[in-house]
Amino acid sequence: MISITLKKGYSLKIAGAPSAAVSVLPPPARVAAVPSHLPFVKPRLTVKVGDAVALGTVLFEDKRNPDVKFLSPGGGQVAAIHFGARRLIREIVIDLAPDEAHIAFETLSAAELKTVQRARLVALLLTGGLWPLLRALPFRDMPRPDALPPAVFVQVGSTEPFQPHPAVYLQENEARFRFGLAVLDRLAEGRVFVAAAAADAEVLKTLGDLVTHTYAGNYPAHDPGVLLYRTRTEPAANRSWYIDAQDLLLIAELLQTGRYPTARTVVLAGSQAESRQHFKTRLGVPMADLAAGRTRPGDTRFVSGGILTGHATTADGYLGLLEKALHLLPEGHEKGAFLGFVRPGFKRPSYSRAFLSAVNPADLTMDCNRNGGLRACIACNYCPAVCPVEILPQLTYKSILVEEVEEYLAHGLLDCVECGLCSYVCPSKIELLETLKSAKASYYRDQG
Amino acid sequence: MKIVKQFFDTRRPKFAAGGKYARYYPFFEAIESIFFGPAEVTAAGPQVRDSLDVKRFMTLVIVALLPHLFFGIYNAGYQSHLASGLSLAPLAVVVRGLWIVMPLVLVTYAVGFFWEVVFAVVRKHEISEGLFVSCMLFPLTLPPTTPLWQAALGISFGIVIGKEIFGGTGRNFLNPALTGRAFLYFAYPAQSSGDAVWTVLVGTPAADAVSGATPLAIAAATSVGRVEDALAQAGFDASRLFWGLYPDSIGASSTFLCLLGAVFLMVIGIASYRIILGGVIGVLASGLLLNFLAGEGSQAFLHLNPVFHLLVGGSAFGIAYMATDPVSAPDMNSARWVYGFLIGALTVLIRVFNPAFPEGIMLAILFMNVFAPLLDHLAVRTRIRRRLPNV
Repeated sequence: MISITLKKGYSLKIAGAPSAAVSVLPPPARVAAVPSHLPFVKPRLTVKVGDAVALGTVLFEDKRNPDVKFLSPGGGQVAAIHFGARRLIREIVIDLAPDEAHIAFETLSAAELKTVQRARLVALLLTGGLWPLLRALPFRDMPRPDALPPAVFVQVGSTEPFQPHPAVYLQENEARFRFGLAVLDRLAEGRVFVAAAAADAEVLKTLGDLVTHTYAGNYPAHDPGVLLYRTRTEPAANRSWYIDAQDLLLIAELLQTGRYPTARTVVLAGSQAESRQHFKTRLGVPMADLAAGRTRPGDTRFVSGGILTGHATTADGYLGLLEKALHLLPEGHEKGAFLGFVRPGFKRPSYSRAFLSAVNPADLTMDCNRNGGLRACIACNYCPAVCPVEILPQLTYKSILVEEVEEYLAHGLLDCVECGLCSYVCPSKIELLETLKSAKASYYRDQG
Repeated sequence: MKIVKQFFDTRRPKFAAGGKYARYYPFFEAIESIFFGPAEVTAAGPQVRDSLDVKRFMTLVIVALLPHLFFGIYNAGYQSHLASGLSLAPLAVVVRGLWIVMPLVLVTYAVGFFWEVVFAVVRKHEISEGLFVSCMLFPLTLPPTTPLWQAALGISFGIVIGKEIFGGTGRNFLNPALTGRAFLYFAYPAQSSGDAVWTVLVGTPAADAVSGATPLAIAAATSVGRVEDALAQAGFDASRLFWGLYPDSIGASSTFLCLLGAVFLMVIGIASYRIILGGVIGVLASGLLLNFLAGEGSQAFLHLNPVFHLLVGGSAFGIAYMATDPVSAPDMNSARWVYGFLIGALTVLIRVFNPAFPEGIMLAILFMNVFAPLLDHLAVRTRIRRRLPNV
């Protein structure tokens, strides 16, 4: 077993952590697919408003590769298709019928799995609509179906605030998890790694010898990109794949039951949330179902995914295919405190030691205020100090602005794990993550 | 507080886009953000941001400099009254000190702020707080007798030529305050160096009562005997040099306060400990090396105990506050050690081997400012070479 401890990186001291309690959310009246939260996908709709759909009907496919299908997370009728700016498809909303019809997919038994052709397995995942749950480094797009990965990492748990605890969704699902690993084993021809938190004794006990890597230390120690950066020995490994453990359970369920899986464990967290806990619900659940009656008064920002890597969304949105958490944070668009810049700041969270909060061990409430005006880089050196993969974000950022492609690639732009810490710590409030991420994405698109 | 808020809220429309004074928004924003933090929220991920901003970053440097200002006021007044044979009662001394120092500080801030507003309005960006640090540092390095027009000219040169023509704070490669100081030093040597400029005389006291030379000048001028003895004879023993109550530039004389400020800035993580320790090591190492190389007939300065190099000539002030300016220093941590060390070493070498301009620390920092990009370049290359490529 390989142990990795991340000394760089940084764990936010942020209030609003969810408890380990689990409730079952009442079934939603409608669910949605959210194409706009899937990176790089160019959706082509295959349904229109008013169409009757079953659980597992194709809603849209990826124009880049029409074999990649995205299926309906519920049976009923297409109630609405919401478009954003420039005809971006935001959501495809399905009104659920009381007796949901579903499409039957082929199943695989454990014995069949041992002998199945790899190509057929890939085809099953593509038609079953779950291929996009696999992600390929370094760009974090779904992998090309014809590619053979150097390795696949299964990410169990997360160090980002706040994500579902793996013990919650792995409970009574160990056999299914093992089946999922067997699927990956066929896809990656043996090179499958499972990474779990070293501190999580419960999960380590459950998974036993399945775990190949343990991670400890600061956020984002869990990130497959970080694990890869710390363990790789040759450049070929850079194209490894990864998948979240909860997503792997969906793949296993699809192949075992022949039915498009919908079970999702999500957390509701953030200091604006009244009851912060785990909920068992389904894919594409409306934010409103999670947040209604559990939101504190005041302007609230809805964040789906993680606090550092997630999307800002609205109360009428839906959780996307890859998102497992909803955070309710104070919006914070009031002006800062009177003469705030000279106050001791015992309760002002900061990576730096420039506030008295440096000696305050408590978790602190954080809002979405930018906490300062835009300035030029003053070379404070905080971003290279937190970067988990030892990029020099400030220098990479400057070479991106002057379009020195060779230089920013040499700096390790493609190793960037998009954790967002550089933007978080920047006192000049420079959008480092945004700049690095879009440079990475346009490099990927140029490659074709 | 409410009144202040109202004051800004009623005037904001005039400065907002489409308002009568929309061009001068940076001016409005600069003043308003002194009282209230901005209301902008994050528009891109990550959704939350650190509480630290440049304003607090720079303010903390000013906080570290305030003891120097207060001590400088007292010291300037004290030296003036001592030399002029006037009352040494604390109140009288402080009033005199305020009278000497505050005009220089206020003129510096007024002129510096003016230039910053001009460039911010033309370039349509907000005012960067680095200015406020430069305008605090600059008067502290001046002799108390500096004419106000020279202070105005010096800070203009420092802000405009040292910073703004390169794009403003963050894009300058020289320390603006030091650039302004160096300009005055070379353009007006009569008012910036020599023995007569360090004490403000009131009335016409007996001329021989005043020994005006700074410790650095005495050290450089010593030709026979030990420099330590010459300094002691002039009243400059190590403890007086450490506490700083002697005629010198306004805020740079007290090594004790520099130590205090440097520790404060290192503890809160604003100043790079690598530069400061590198600088101290550089001074001591080169001082010791000169001691070692010096023979019987070498000049007295070579034999000086290296600790004295840290006590005289503002080297502690320069290492604590000027060398640590992150913008003009290298980015890379390894390069910062080298940068600090070379500043320390060059300071001693310039003092000892350059009798015309013994102001070692100022020239050493400016010189290393110019070399910072080269040090960075080498450090970045080394680091990139160690990376496993990912293309």
